[in-house]
Amino acid sequence: MQETILNDLKMPYCPGCGHTVANKSMSKAIADMDVDPLDVIVVSDIGCTGLVDPLLTCHTIHGLHGRAVALAMGIRMGLEHPEKKIIALQGDGGATIGLQHLLEAARHNLDLTLVVQNNMVYGMTGGQTSGLSSTEFKEPERPESAVPGYDICALAHNAGAAYTARTFIGKDTSELWKEALSTSGFSLIEIVEMCPAYGLRKVQELHDTADYESVVTRNSRAVGMPHRATGRSLLDGLKPIERTCDAPLDGRLEIIVAGSAGEAIQSAGDLLSTAGITAGLSATKKGDYPITIGTGFSVAEVILSRDPIHYTGIDCPDIMIVISQDGLDKVQSRIGGHTLVIADEKLGTELGGSPGPLDPPDQSGPSNVVTGDFRKTGGPKGAALAAIAHWLQDNGFLPIEALIEAASRHKHGDKMKVIIDKAVAA
Amino acid sequence: MTADGERMVFLDGSRLIIEAMARAGVGAYIGYPITPVNWLFAGAKQRIPIALEAPDEITALQWSAGFSSSGVFPVTASAFPGFALMIESINMSFMMELPMVIILAQRLGPSTGSATTGGQGDLLLLRGCISGGYSIPVFCPSNLNDCWDMAAASVHTSVNLRTPVVLLTSKEMVMTNQNMNISSLREVQRAERHVFEGNGEYKTYGVNGNLAPPFLPLGNDLHQVRLNSSTHDMEGITQKNSPEALGNTERLKNKIEQRIDDYTFYDHDRAEDADTVILTYGISAEAAREAVGSLRSGGDSVSLLVMKTLLPVPPRIYELLDAYEHIVVVEENISGLLRELLFGNRQDGRVFGVNKIGNMITPQEIAEGVRQCRKPS
Ligand code: SF4
Repeated sequence: MQETILNDLKMPYCPGCGHTVANKSMSKAIADMDVDPLDVIVVSDIGCTGLVDPLLTCHTIHGLHGRAVALAMGIRMGLEHPEKKIIALQGDGGATIGLQHLLEAARHNLDLTLVVQNNMVYGMTGGQTSGLSSTEFKEPERPESAVPGYDICALAHNAGAAYTARTFIGKDTSELWKEALSTSGFSLIEIVEMCPAYGLRKVQELHDTADYESVVTRNSRAVGMPHRATGRSLLDGLKPIERTCDAPLDGRLEIIVAGSAGEAIQSAGDLLSTAGITAGLSATKKGDYPITIGTGFSVAEVILSRDPIHYTGIDCPDIMIVISQDGLDKVQSRIGGHTLVIADEKLGTELGGSPGPLDPPDQSGPSNVVTGDFRKTGGPKGAALAAIAHWLQDNGFLPIEALIEAASRHKHGDKMKVIIDKAVAA
Repeated sequence: MTADGERMVFLDGSRLIIEAMARAGVGAYIGYPITPVNWLFAGAKQRIPIALEAPDEITALQWSAGFSSSGVFPVTASAFPGFALMIESINMSFMMELPMVIILAQRLGPSTGSATTGGQGDLLLLRGCISGGYSIPVFCPSNLNDCWDMAAASVHTSVNLRTPVVLLTSKEMVMTNQNMNISSLREVQRAERHVFEGNGEYKTYGVNGNLAPPFLPLGNDLHQVRLNSSTHDMEGITQKNSPEALGNTERLKNKIEQRIDDYTFYDHDRAEDADTVILTYGISAEAAREAVGSLRSGGDSVSLLVMKTLLPVPPRIYELLDAYEHIVVVEENISGLLRELLFGNRQDGRVFGVNKIGNMITPQEIAEGVRQCRKPS
């Protein structure tokens, strides 16, 4: 005799409940297909459908309401044994709360079978209607409950399920189960059935009131399975930064580079940091930009220090390099009395006059402002780098060779070096 | 000019976390995009054998549970909004005893708050996220080295205790680049699950001495596996409140708490004769280290205690704190979550908070807190 996946415990369902018939069909299908119970994993949902869990002799996993399909997907993607059958069992309530998972499983076309036992009510909690209840199945005192139910077979089919079928309970449905279980890819069976406790009692009534027809649909698609990669070490590819020179800096220097999206502000910040490390300093860098990264400001905060850096925040920077109005608008309030501002010429034209873009809010004025035509020297994408080079050349916190060395590590290193040379010459 | 064997690079905490986890044996990363875990996701796509985009965070956790139950160690990452959606499924995984790590990168709340502003506002959420008040281990890196060590510890603890573990971090830790000598990183061992062996009777939740049951994957050819999120007996069968099932639930509490010494991590930088200790965690720890340096160079002897195991609260932390008259608790929130966790809602004059939101707490603010805490109130 073939093994069955049901033990000999008594079914826990009310007399006449459709779940009893459905579970027997499942067991018969497995036995007919001669599948070993340990080659089957049943993922059960919350609700009366899930009460079958203790009766099963196969592998079982009993999870949350509505999530059985998502859980089953995870198991299928994790298991390296395609021959194992995975069956998710849900009621109409579970299918409603987890509709997204059902569509996702169909879209990925993972090899698993979902059986939705649609008795149009939440049996466990008092007979409320679900998203799969038919229009006729309204609660008399709540006419609004008569909105049409989801046609989950159509939804799953349109989302790409390999096989979908709807049938009515009352007879052995094992043939459909076998069809579903032998289909490669995602298969869904919706069994329209009765909850005698809260719903309809007779099969005939079920046919009369349900909006549904028996259907079978198929999609011919590749079966989904995630790609398994070897994975490359995230550290091995990092080229060590050799210390090639010395920086005269003694202590900590806080620098803000500000400009607009698309002006390579972040790579300028990275370059400055790398230059600092090349010269034997510690460096930190963080970026700040709007969530819409293609527009608005872009700010890089860089700290260079002789000692290890713990705290990575900057309040009023020592140096502020600003190359666009967006950048200035973002960081102007952080200019302090000690801040040296290096600004593109266009932002600096009103400097020294009455309120201009570089007037700090506290009116005390930056201690020092240097301007230059960095856009001309570096172009829009190289202006920040040109300003950095110009500043380093001027004050010598870092040898300019450190910046050139840092640039040489970059994929656009040659272009960068040209900009640095031009900025230094200017 | 570079010291022998030194490999100085410029990198972020996200990269270290993912690399350490990969070496510890993480097989799948399941993500749903949210700032500030962007770089974790990007790193995982390069590094972790299976890296998937889930359609939402509930799915991310359900897929994680599916992977874990079939023997693949999963990791996911999110910020509060996504973590909130995961909570029911984390409870499920806790109950089923499925190892996994959830990286929670904190940002400014409440609600969606400010995606690109850091914060430390989720500690008490973690303390209460399992219904019944059971703890799940929570680790928190305080610098780049910790990103590596705590990531590895998260995976190992999760595997050893068969439980979900949270790695709590914040935007500033995972999205700031810093120089680091990576040759100083410790070697990470692969975490191996304690697998059931032999042909004897197997009960999914049967324990034998060790409080975490031996594992077998769903679908194995030898023994039936019954994983269950509902209150269940040792076999995994749903029970309302039978003594065996309640005993099993109690075991879930005990297995985490009884082995706390195995996974208690902290830095205690004790100054001789110090009457004051700065107590902190995560991103605020770095500012505290700087504050301690400047206070000491000014002649003020102050100690520093950085917690890296936050939950369950290690008893060792209280033992260490007992030595001090003043405890200055530093955290980037205005409610004092760590203070409340450790000292409740009625705190005596021994405990002083340095708190703020919107920006990292500065070393100067911490030093000021140390001065303030000693003033008679
Ligand atoms: S309440 Fe309804 S669905 Fe539940 S067992 Fe009874 S008849 Fe079946």
